[in-house]
Amino acid sequence: MNAVALQCSPWVRARGLLACVLISTSVLLPTAVFAQALDVINGDVTQKIAISDLRANSDTTFTLYDPYQGRDVEMQGVAFQDFLIDQFGEVPPALHFTAWDDYEVTLEGWDDPTWYLITSEDGAPLTIRTRGPVRLVERDYSGRDVANLRDFNDWIWMIRSIEAKW
Amino acid sequence: MISKAKPAVAPSIQPRPLARQPRYVTWLSLSVMSFLALMVLIVYESRWVYPEIQAYFSQTGNLTGQQLATRSRVYLQNAQSELLADQPEQEAFAAAITDIELSYGLSDMHVYRHQYECTEPSLRILNRVLARLEVAEIDRVGAVGELFGPIQCLTHIEMDQLDQRGAAINDFSVSTRQHNQVLTYSSLLIFVMGLVFWWLHERQLRRTDHATQETFEWMQRAMRDPLTGIGNRSALHQDVLAKQHQSLGLILIDIDFFKQYNDAYGHPQGDTLLRQLATLIGETLNDEAQLYRLGGDEFAALLRCPDTETLKSYCCQLIEGIRAADFAHPAHPDKKGVTFSVGGSRFMADEATFAYAYEAADKALYRVKAAGRDGWQVTEDA
Repeated sequence: MNAVALQCSPWVRARGLLACVLISTSVLLPTAVFAQALDVINGDVTQKIAISDLRANSDTTFTLYDPYQGRDVEMQGVAFQDFLIDQFGEVPPALHFTAWDDYEVTLEGWDDPTWYLITSEDGAPLTIRTRGPVRLVERDYSGRDVANLRDFNDWIWMIRSIEAKW
Repeated sequence: MISKAKPAVAPSIQPRPLARQPRYVTWLSLSVMSFLALMVLIVYESRWVYPEIQAYFSQTGNLTGQQLATRSRVYLQNAQSELLADQPEQEAFAAAITDIELSYGLSDMHVYRHQYECTEPSLRILNRVLARLEVAEIDRVGAVGELFGPIQCLTHIEMDQLDQRGAAINDFSVSTRQHNQVLTYSSLLIFVMGLVFWWLHERQLRRTDHATQETFEWMQRAMRDPLTGIGNRSALHQDVLAKQHQSLGLILIDIDFFKQYNDAYGHPQGDTLLRQLATLIGETLNDEAQLYRLGGDEFAALLRCPDTETLKSYCCQLIEGIRAADFAHPAHPDKKGVTFSVGGSRFMADEATFAYAYEAADKALYRVKAAGRDGWQVTEDA
């Protein structure tokens, strides 16, 4: 059996390899297609930013107490103010967010350096399971009660798209 | 002998101190403080109620407006629907995985892990189902069955959270009612206190006004001669000081042989004569002069006087007036009626010049008396 197997023709081996790739692709399809890009919308123009690129550009690491997880978490991401300036030229007066769980909200006041768009937690990339692939957090929320989650409503999770509202 | 004019004595009349003034200020302060306290109470209560209302009733549409557990449960039920739907297994698995991932993200909360024992096992079940769906190691019905446990847990969380929210709203309602009562009664009490303090303040104000009025009347009386109602020596000084830098005439009028009149008619009749003479002098000077009684039988008149001729004219009028009045004087040595000796002087009103003017008028009066009384003399510019 082993000899037979070892003597497989290259065509058979290539066919087996192709099957493996197809099976893997089919299995990974949901997560590969799902939540791997962030849509940045400015008027009629929609730009897809690969989450992998965002992760690669995440140049800031800090540790923050996450009230939703109830523990200190090492977060990695980009300053949201800088991100907005890169994408829109300036910080828009308001932003409309759409999340992967179909949550939608429009919020103002983003010209604030405390906000970060994070892509990783404790060294692991954010996924939908960990309320990713990108999430907004406030690096400095001093003075607020961490037991009152209502005070952290603006921490947008599972962000799917960000639309500038001028 | 020329009698020297008495030095001008400045009247020592000063307003009585307002003894109750500190309390007057205190009542006013207390009243204002009461109304301020009322405002503070109302603002405090408003600021207390508003955030509570915000907390319980203004969460619609926010991230935590709908319970995370509810949203998580709905995604699990969606996953079950996808798995049982009439569609290819691969599509069903992909859709179910998406829903379960979202459900996991929404239920993996510290607050749920901490408060509900079923959370950790449920999350482990979701992890296991996801892993088996990804490698297609589980059939559709089996996966649907696995999800019932987490759905039950999430329903339990939902119900408990709703109970907690209901209890919190109930507490808020009770608390609001209590605050409302406190606000009502406190406002009423403070308002009444404010009114009482204000009333005390008003009463004190009236008392102060009354005291001021009394002081003023006392000062007025202190300046009057009680017998004739005209001014006294203090009033003369005051009036001269009030007419600084004006050209004035000072006329001293002495009733001739008044002692003998009193001896003949008695003092009550003498007092009557004094009142009649005060009236006569005023009428004779056409009410342009201010009259004063300086002593027993001595009057003074102060009037505007641009020149000495005018002063002489006034003095002459006085002599003629008393003669025309023809008051009987049975004890007059010269068998005349009541007569005047009049001395006058003109001066520019000033505290320093008044003493000289008084002395000059007195000298003129002395000259009249030396010449046999019933006449007038004027000392040229004092």
